[in-house]
Amino acid sequence: MRIAIRSIVLLTTIFILLAVIGCDGSGSENDPDEMILRQALFNKIKSLDPVSMRDVYSATVSGQIFETLYQYHFLKRPYELIPLLAEEMPQISEDMLVYTIKIKKGVLFQDDKCFPLGKARELTSGDFVYGLKRVADIKNLSENWSVFDNKIVGLDEFREYTKTCKKAEDVDYSRPIAGLQMPDDYTLVIRLKRPWPQLIGTALADMVTSPVAKEAVDYYGEDIISHPVGTGPYMLKKWHRGSYIELVRNPNFRGELYPSEGEPGDAEAGYLDDAGKIMPFADKVVWTIIEEYQPAWLLFLQGKLDTSVIPKDNFDEAITGIGELTPELKQRNIHLKIFSDPSTFWLGFNMQDAVLGENKPLRLAISRAIDRKRFIDLFFNGRHPIADGFIPPLMASYNPKIKEKGYSRYDPNDARKLVEEAEEIYGGKLPKLRIAMPGTDTFARQFGQFLTRNLNDVGIDVEIDYMDWPTYQEKLNTSSAQMFASGIVASIPDAEDFMGIFYSKNKAPGSNKFNYYNAEFDKLYEEIATMFDSPERRELYQKMELVVLEDCPAAFLNHRIAYVLHHDWVKNYKPHVFQYGLSKYRRIDTAKRAEYKGR
Amino acid sequence: MSEQQIISKTLPLPKGRSLWQDGLRRLGRRRFAMACFVVIVLYFLLAGFIYLAELFDWQVAPIRWSQEVGSQYESPSGENLFGTDIFGQSVLRKTLYGTKTSMTVAMFASFISIAIGVPLGAIAGYFRGFIDEVIVWLYSTLSSIPYILLILAFAVVLRDKTFFGYKLAGITTVYLAIGLTSWVGICRLIRGEVIKHKNREYILAAKSYGCSAKRIIFKHLLPNVFHLIIIDFSLRFVGFIHAEVILSFLGLGETTRPSWGAMINDARIELARGVWWQMATATFAIFFISLALNIFGDALRDSLDPKLRTQ
Repeated sequence: MRIAIRSIVLLTTIFILLAVIGCDGSGSENDPDEMILRQALFNKIKSLDPVSMRDVYSATVSGQIFETLYQYHFLKRPYELIPLLAEEMPQISEDMLVYTIKIKKGVLFQDDKCFPLGKARELTSGDFVYGLKRVADIKNLSENWSVFDNKIVGLDEFREYTKTCKKAEDVDYSRPIAGLQMPDDYTLVIRLKRPWPQLIGTALADMVTSPVAKEAVDYYGEDIISHPVGTGPYMLKKWHRGSYIELVRNPNFRGELYPSEGEPGDAEAGYLDDAGKIMPFADKVVWTIIEEYQPAWLLFLQGKLDTSVIPKDNFDEAITGIGELTPELKQRNIHLKIFSDPSTFWLGFNMQDAVLGENKPLRLAISRAIDRKRFIDLFFNGRHPIADGFIPPLMASYNPKIKEKGYSRYDPNDARKLVEEAEEIYGGKLPKLRIAMPGTDTFARQFGQFLTRNLNDVGIDVEIDYMDWPTYQEKLNTSSAQMFASGIVASIPDAEDFMGIFYSKNKAPGSNKFNYYNAEFDKLYEEIATMFDSPERRELYQKMELVVLEDCPAAFLNHRIAYVLHHDWVKNYKPHVFQYGLSKYRRIDTAKRAEYKGR
Repeated sequence: MSEQQIISKTLPLPKGRSLWQDGLRRLGRRRFAMACFVVIVLYFLLAGFIYLAELFDWQVAPIRWSQEVGSQYESPSGENLFGTDIFGQSVLRKTLYGTKTSMTVAMFASFISIAIGVPLGAIAGYFRGFIDEVIVWLYSTLSSIPYILLILAFAVVLRDKTFFGYKLAGITTVYLAIGLTSWVGICRLIRGEVIKHKNREYILAAKSYGCSAKRIIFKHLLPNVFHLIIIDFSLRFVGFIHAEVILSFLGLGETTRPSWGAMINDARIELARGVWWQMATATFAIFFISLALNIFGDALRDSLDPKLRTQ
């Protein structure tokens, strides 16, 4: 009897163990014809509520659930804005202050228990107004408020009103806003305080303005961050925090047609094979949260992930000396996509700091002491371009002559002279400087070592403070970091994002973490804010860039070039850097995937 | 003069040996244990030497670990015995410097855990009653939390905190986190021994002389259980080295100077490009000290514990 009980316990344990081992977190694939898009996310998702979302990872998931009024064309380059939830492009008044937007009829939210009988209702213009009010509501502490600050008539007053409400429940969302009108359920009128040429790209094509059903916010309360109810092609099915996310088709999705036009070469590349077909193609979209690149890379090679970036230590395994895929990967029918990212990374200086703020020679010395080429060789396999300025080459306003100005040059001898000059200004030997480094992982530690070595070489003593992301954010927001390693990825194909981070009214906790102030720059920024894209505006951008570079509030290091690999079975994988809702375009050739796995 | 008196005058009585002398004699007979002891001493000497070199700014190789001695990821050669890392730094120098980091952490953590665990165990065992219950409750609660998770929690909480104007960072956080969480074992051991000893004749005699509880605990009881502290110290030391490696591996340990854990963490991803030497060197450094400490600790226990004497 005792032996029998033991055997049962043993068998049960083995069964449970096998079951656990069998669950690789990538979801079951019972139906081989089911089209599942499998990807990796390298960070945890914080929130799936558009109002409180600011990071790339959350937007990557939310972008499939929520939709915006406008989106960037999937295939056309240069990037072109087209309607998504809007019926057409907005009608803009002559004074550029009033935008009238017609909204598509028959768009339904996904079914959810927040609605009566669980059946969704139709999207109306009121949902957009409600979404913007939520951003303005101080109780929601939306990091996206700076986008709308002092832009829409009456919205700032609504924000002030929310400050007077004691509790979040006390805020009256039916309070009218003069600048946000709804003549009918399918028309939205936005009235601006002054012209805002970037309104469509910066706001109306951004996740922050995605409509959220009021019923969902009322029903889920604070838990709305994990119960997204949108109008997009997919809806959330599973979310095991920190490990796994699964989206399934939204049966209420109206269907969208795959674009029939692109840029030259798209047809040859197969990007127009699905022209005119109804999207989305994939039945499920699955993300496994893998915070390390190495396991993600191995899963990609095993065919368990559809796409992958190339970890720096696997670069030689993937790419040959002439920048092509290695024969081993070609044999596996893996494809390489190389594309520029609208990004810039830097070592920033806090201009309010007593040592750095008033000591330009010291800031210049730090900038000249950093060997950017070696940095890129060591950490990015030499594939990223040096940031000679802060406007990336991808932007139309990029100054091709910026390199000649020499702001990014590595000159340790000059740096040593500048340190002497800096010590004279400081009135003695410079104190130990501190650099705030986001992360405690190997990359952060090695990057910290690299900076220490470079700066020590020219006689600058530094200490690196490694910290987690929330602590780092807090340090920057309270201006308590002396120097900080940071960067930005633009959300629109315009350099305005890069200018905003130096505008004095955006000082920390706003996006200007440098706490930089230059009257001339501010004046130019206010000038370009109301200008439409034109050669004059681009010229002003370049002028503004030079003003900043002359003051040296940061040592700009590099721009990013993405090297992305995908398997042959992933179709319509055209790189797109300004949109998150891309899963709907992807199609999976399930037969090819099965063939790969059967190898 | 009786016969017995004559013998006692002509033949000297055999000299008695103390517990320590007896234990050390037994230990000396174990050749392999002594070889391990030599290895441990070498590690300690190296750590001490690096400590002094840093203090007096002697420009010796291990403290110049950040110097570039070759190109990036140079494989082991006659010039660079254990190869180089991403910055062309000598892996050998980093490993030698890592000895100081690990030994310092293990040393301080041991002292902290003994400083907390021994008095608490002795007090609980001697006084029993309410005091005992409180201390037992405290260590039972602590021991119910998984050890590594507890250290991680302490390390995260203590990191970057300022106490009395001193900012906790890097190595200090590590040994504080380990020391503050690992006193339970020694506390439990000492409590049990004190309960056993407190009714023995020598303690009753001390009590009858009117000795204070403090005097009885620290002058009579603790010296009689001190060999257990030494044995526990030697066996736990290796655990503390491992804890430091784990914390550094997880990015919660030493970040500005080399440590074995950080080296393994770096090497983990470098293995993909065939760079094995950093991983191998750090692993061997940990392996030798762990093996030596384990064997020597076992031998020490066998030699000093009267119950385990077999010779």
